[in-house]
Amino acid sequence: MYQPTCLLNEWMKENNELVNKLKQQYGGRDTLSRDQNQNRLRWCSSEFHKLLRKIQGVPPLADGTHLELSVAFNACVCTIAQSQFTDAELHITQAIQRALQATEGDLHPVASDLPAFWKSVLKSLGNTALNSCLLHLLCLQWAVWLATCRLKTIQQFEVDLFSLVETVCAGGEDDRGSKFIGRSSDTPLLVTEPRKLAEFLQICTSITQGAERLAEGLSSEALSGLQKATSLSAPRALAAYVHHLSGSCFARMSCPQMALQCYRKALETDSRCVCALYQSMLIYRQLGNTQAEIQALRLLHSTLLLPSASVPVQADVHPLNPSLLLCSQSLNSQLSVPSALSVLHNLALKCVLHERVSEGVEYYLDLLASLHSEDPHGARTKTLTDMQDHLTDYAKDTPLPGLPQIYLEAGAAILMARRPFDCMALCNEVISTTVELLPERLVLEDPEERSESGTRDVGAEGVDKEAVLLWTGAAYLLLGHCHTHLKDWKQAVTHYTRCINLLVKVHFKKKGFQPQIPSADMVVKQGTNLCILQRLKGLSLAGRGISFTQMDKLKEALRDLLLSVQAFPECVGAELWCGEVLWRLGRKHEAAACWEKSWITKSPVEDLPLYLRELQSGPSLDSTELRQRIQELGPV
Amino acid sequence: MEGRCSVETLADFGFLDASFTPKITPGFGPDLFVLTGSDEVYVFNSEERKLTLVLQFPGPVSDLVQSPDKQLIYVSCSSGVYCVSPQLLLSRTQNHPADVSSGPPELQISSDSLVIGEEGVLSLLLVGSVLLLLSHRDTLWLLSLYKTPEPESSSCELLGSFSLPLVSAAVCDDDEAKMGTRRRPVLICVHSVSTSPSEETLVNSHYHLESVLFKLLFGVDAALAKSPVVLCGLPDGRLCSLPLRLPGSRLRVLHSLEQPVVFVGASVVTETAPGHAQCLVAVGEQGRVLLMKTENPEGGDRAAGFLETCVPGPAVCGSVDKQHLYYSTGSDLLMLDLSEKSSGREGQEKNEESFRKSSAVVHSPTGLKVCRVSALAGPARDATGGVQLLSLSVRGQLQKILLPEERKDLSSHPSAQVCRSAGDLLSAIGDVCERVSALKTAIKSKNQILKHLNQVLNISFLLIEDANTEDQPPKQEKQIRCHTRTRWSRLLQKDSLNLTCVLENSSSFILERGWTLSITVFPVSSSLTAGKESSSTNFSFPFHNLCPGETLDVSLPLAAAGDASFPMRVSCSLLFSLSSLLGEQEVTHLPGLQSSCISLPLNTLTVDWLHVLQVDIKKTTTSHSFYIEADPIQAFLNSHRTEFSRQVETGGREGPSKTEQELFSARIRVSSELLRDMLVSDLNPQGSKSGLCLSLLDWLLSEGPGGGKGGQQRDKIDPSSSVVHARGPNGARVKLTAMEVKVGEEDTGKEDSLSTVDVEVESSSIAAVCGLHHAVLRRIQALMLSAPQRSASTKRLQSLGLRPALQRAEIISATAEPTRTNVDVKLKTVDES
Repeated sequence: MYQPTCLLNEWMKENNELVNKLKQQYGGRDTLSRDQNQNRLRWCSSEFHKLLRKIQGVPPLADGTHLELSVAFNACVCTIAQSQFTDAELHITQAIQRALQATEGDLHPVASDLPAFWKSVLKSLGNTALNSCLLHLLCLQWAVWLATCRLKTIQQFEVDLFSLVETVCAGGEDDRGSKFIGRSSDTPLLVTEPRKLAEFLQICTSITQGAERLAEGLSSEALSGLQKATSLSAPRALAAYVHHLSGSCFARMSCPQMALQCYRKALETDSRCVCALYQSMLIYRQLGNTQAEIQALRLLHSTLLLPSASVPVQADVHPLNPSLLLCSQSLNSQLSVPSALSVLHNLALKCVLHERVSEGVEYYLDLLASLHSEDPHGARTKTLTDMQDHLTDYAKDTPLPGLPQIYLEAGAAILMARRPFDCMALCNEVISTTVELLPERLVLEDPEERSESGTRDVGAEGVDKEAVLLWTGAAYLLLGHCHTHLKDWKQAVTHYTRCINLLVKVHFKKKGFQPQIPSADMVVKQGTNLCILQRLKGLSLAGRGISFTQMDKLKEALRDLLLSVQAFPECVGAELWCGEVLWRLGRKHEAAACWEKSWITKSPVEDLPLYLRELQSGPSLDSTELRQRIQELGPV
Repeated sequence: MEGRCSVETLADFGFLDASFTPKITPGFGPDLFVLTGSDEVYVFNSEERKLTLVLQFPGPVSDLVQSPDKQLIYVSCSSGVYCVSPQLLLSRTQNHPADVSSGPPELQISSDSLVIGEEGVLSLLLVGSVLLLLSHRDTLWLLSLYKTPEPESSSCELLGSFSLPLVSAAVCDDDEAKMGTRRRPVLICVHSVSTSPSEETLVNSHYHLESVLFKLLFGVDAALAKSPVVLCGLPDGRLCSLPLRLPGSRLRVLHSLEQPVVFVGASVVTETAPGHAQCLVAVGEQGRVLLMKTENPEGGDRAAGFLETCVPGPAVCGSVDKQHLYYSTGSDLLMLDLSEKSSGREGQEKNEESFRKSSAVVHSPTGLKVCRVSALAGPARDATGGVQLLSLSVRGQLQKILLPEERKDLSSHPSAQVCRSAGDLLSAIGDVCERVSALKTAIKSKNQILKHLNQVLNISFLLIEDANTEDQPPKQEKQIRCHTRTRWSRLLQKDSLNLTCVLENSSSFILERGWTLSITVFPVSSSLTAGKESSSTNFSFPFHNLCPGETLDVSLPLAAAGDASFPMRVSCSLLFSLSSLLGEQEVTHLPGLQSSCISLPLNTLTVDWLHVLQVDIKKTTTSHSFYIEADPIQAFLNSHRTEFSRQVETGGREGPSKTEQELFSARIRVSSELLRDMLVSDLNPQGSKSGLCLSLLDWLLSEGPGGGKGGQQRDKIDPSSSVVHARGPNGARVKLTAMEVKVGEEDTGKEDSLSTVDVEVESSSIAAVCGLHHAVLRRIQALMLSAPQRSASTKRLQSLGLRPALQRAEIISATAEPTRTNVDVKLKTVDES
């Protein structure tokens, strides 16, 4: 016969030593790298499991149950921390079965129905000494459910879990008292304090539930749940998340001001909660408060650049990380924030579009500089989920447009700031990169058809020929604008001509028809490549027409301007100048009609790149003067 | 290829770990870094041709990169990445010239220089200030980016990491998968032409690529951002690209070779774009070569062309220069011309054709006839314009390979070219001849060894067969056997007995080199005297060739007079050592072989008293000579002789004369009929009575051990009296007398009397009497065994009586020799009745 008490003491000693070692690791101010931490954890886990196997090697005993359940708790905490959830679940149920067998002698079948098992376990709870241990294990089961997003199961047990938190918290106080009295070697130590764990689980559950409900569109229910959670004690970061989610609920319920309040609260709670800042920026945008939006963007950008922003939220006391438990997809989408570069781009664009050109230009230059910096941009800010290596991490965020597009936008902005030479440098750079890749001819397909067939002509090489052509065209257009700005009409004509020559290579193919050169009578959808093509064509023809006008080649000018108006009817400048040319040619009534037409308000063009807007860089016509001329002309 | 490569061995690093891909990296100035798969990094100075430094790391080193200023090296080993400054370390060691004499200084690299604690790093690449680490996790390839440490800080900052899921390991089996973890993935960095201003800034595994191809392969964004692109050739065959400085960039699979990528590089520089490669090359392990070029078809758009061809594999390692790809298959170093000679200016129609042509060229690489290359370092042009490669052979030899110069004036001087190419052909033929003759000699020596082994086996079987049939009386004599002769010689007033052993080869096989005749001599009685340590002596005589019919004589000293106990057993055997089959060099590599040999027993012979008697030439019977011994034991024995001589006499029927009262004697009686049958036929055809005695004595004395003739001569025997006087090996005088006696005369009960011959041994030394008695009995027993079956009844009777007598005599002689005082011995002569 073995000596049960002696063995039990040995095992307890072993358990306590392991716990102390693990606590040292987490107490030791994070000097170890993540890899080393993981290794230590793995080691501890295997040691705990070894110990557990030893203990479970003897038949279940009433004396050893307390110790066994404690060791099982420790082992499972380590297992969960390594995201091996099914293993943990298995160990938990095994340990409980053994414990109940020892005390009551009857078996509780697990079968496949875990909730039923737990129900029966909770019902049979009577022994108070064992009670606390079993509740601790229930905590872990809760963690597993949370980590695997089984919120429905959690909801089933809501009452039990609620009472569990209460008893554990109450018991925790008692435990604490007794711990100081008794020596630590008398009781098996636990890796984490169950009270803290329960509280932590409670807040995490609230957050996940809130996010899920929000995603399902149950904003008000989500809000009430979150409001309850605000009263819970929680780590700073998690409390901030609660506020943030409440804000999102308000935003969804179209209470933007309340939402802003909540986001502000979140930021006050945890300054690193950049997602709140981002969401408030979005609300300002929605409200049309451009100045506030720009301000928010600026703040967001500077916060993202802070080194602390990239430090993930750390659970200070125990190995269970918030990132392990907060893994719901909808929560992640709530918490995600675009990269610093993308924010900077947004900021620059917003500034330029809202009459803060010089500021916008500065931001654009910052953006270009950081794009050319030595640092690889693979290193970007990390959100919570980045703790786990995930393949999609680097793929999912790039709302940042292609580099040539940024160059061209920056060029346009710089031109708007009346720095034509800088703009020319940027455009030349784009052209030098793309010119070698220009296709001899290009067939544009109807985007709808293309999406049906699913073949896109990007090619294995990763060069989108359409895009290349359009970028190059835009660069030539901008060059033309620059020369217009410098009043170098000849050069301007050259560059506009290059742009036009490039654009006529493009044929458009509609289902069932031969490829043809796109004409004005086609219905052009906005935002498509075809739209951009037509717009480019219109602008370049207009530009050339204006240049010809300045060179007094009125015939050519008239032809170009008419073509421009045909290609792109919304182009205001072309119509005005067309009228001007007609006027000069003596066709005054036609001119007047042209001018009248241009003053009819047209639907503003949205969603076009900055460089495809009509820049007020060239010679302008004063509309009051034109109106005067019409009046002088008198009725026909 | 015309001409030959000159290969020069610079250093030897010992055998390489087969599972590891070794690496040579040109370092600062003439320094080279050599990785062999061990824990050490060797710094080799190629100018001084010596190892200047050995850096010892805590684990197996997997890769090494150098900082662009060549001041620092980053070394990845199993526990992480270390940053070391070899220059600094070298200067530090030179300050302490304590151990300059004992080879290059070895430096232990401590964990102080550990900058990144990432485990299992397989490859490194340094791009600017970014250090890339490629490692292999459970299910992914992980590319981690670190910022190289500032001078004051000691660890690197993690900038980010990219991962790529592992392609299922089903392609390769488990062994390969295990091996694969040590195979180094290829990491190189490609710059667009416009990115870096000059070629000089490039270090190893960085390449300039022509801008169009760069854009086509890696996109406009990478070109516009002037981002270097990391290319990564994985052991699962994929070729991945990663633009380093592009927001949101990720690892993209460019192509899959479907076999482990061994090498990735950029090549083909034409006059139109000097300094910039126009072709990216990737080489797979089984010889698949991927060329990535800009395709410029007629009227079409430029596109990146992926041309896959196969060359004879397996490719072990590779290297490129401006025009050529060099790769090693292990058995040869091959050169592949990548340049398109006919491309370019002539017109676009030809382009397609030239492309096809280039692929045709790709199919036939030229062998450079350098084998066992397992790592190559970039080709460099030396002062004379020759191309020079550095290689590490499988055996760990660092070699400098100088390629033959290219002929640039091939078309201009056809006749000169023909002459030269003829010369080159001749030299190539010479080359081949050399190799052929080397192969021939190898085959020849192998054949020789096989023949030799065949002989050895034949002989072994012959001898084993002999040994098995030894129990039966041999019908014919053994084909390989030993017999011996004894001879006394006197040297420096000391008599010594020499044994001449004759090895006779009457078999049809040759005993060749490698055989050794081993002779063990030990006293027969030693086995009975357990208290003494056995005094066996071993002699071995290696010999070269013993053809059929030849004999080999060897002599060995058996004993000095007086200090050996007879009879002695001589056991002969033949030894064959396996190591003699192979040359010395091979034997040193197989330490187990050195001690292994075959031992085959030949025959065992006995040298008894009769063999070692020194017969007096004169027929003296002076009795005083019996008393010359000065031995105190002998004196003691003499004083007591009266006591036991009586007892002895009871055995002897006819006692000695009065004057020789104190002599011991023993008598053996043998049927004269038998003797006549056996002896007279060959000894004395007359068959006279005295002749019979004489021939008996003669036979006794002349028979050498093992059938050879003894040292005695017949004329030493007194023919009239058939008495032999002799001296035993212990110096005692003995008298051997043979006389014919009619038994029937005495015994009246018997009708036909039996004529017998009595052999009497007389000596004052009991040991001599015992020994001689034993020897004579042995002879007669042997004689009887060989006697024909006729008169079997009586003969069997005799032999039955003889055998126990012989046994007794053997025991007595054995006990009498060591314990002379124990004289309570009864000698009984054996009568044939």
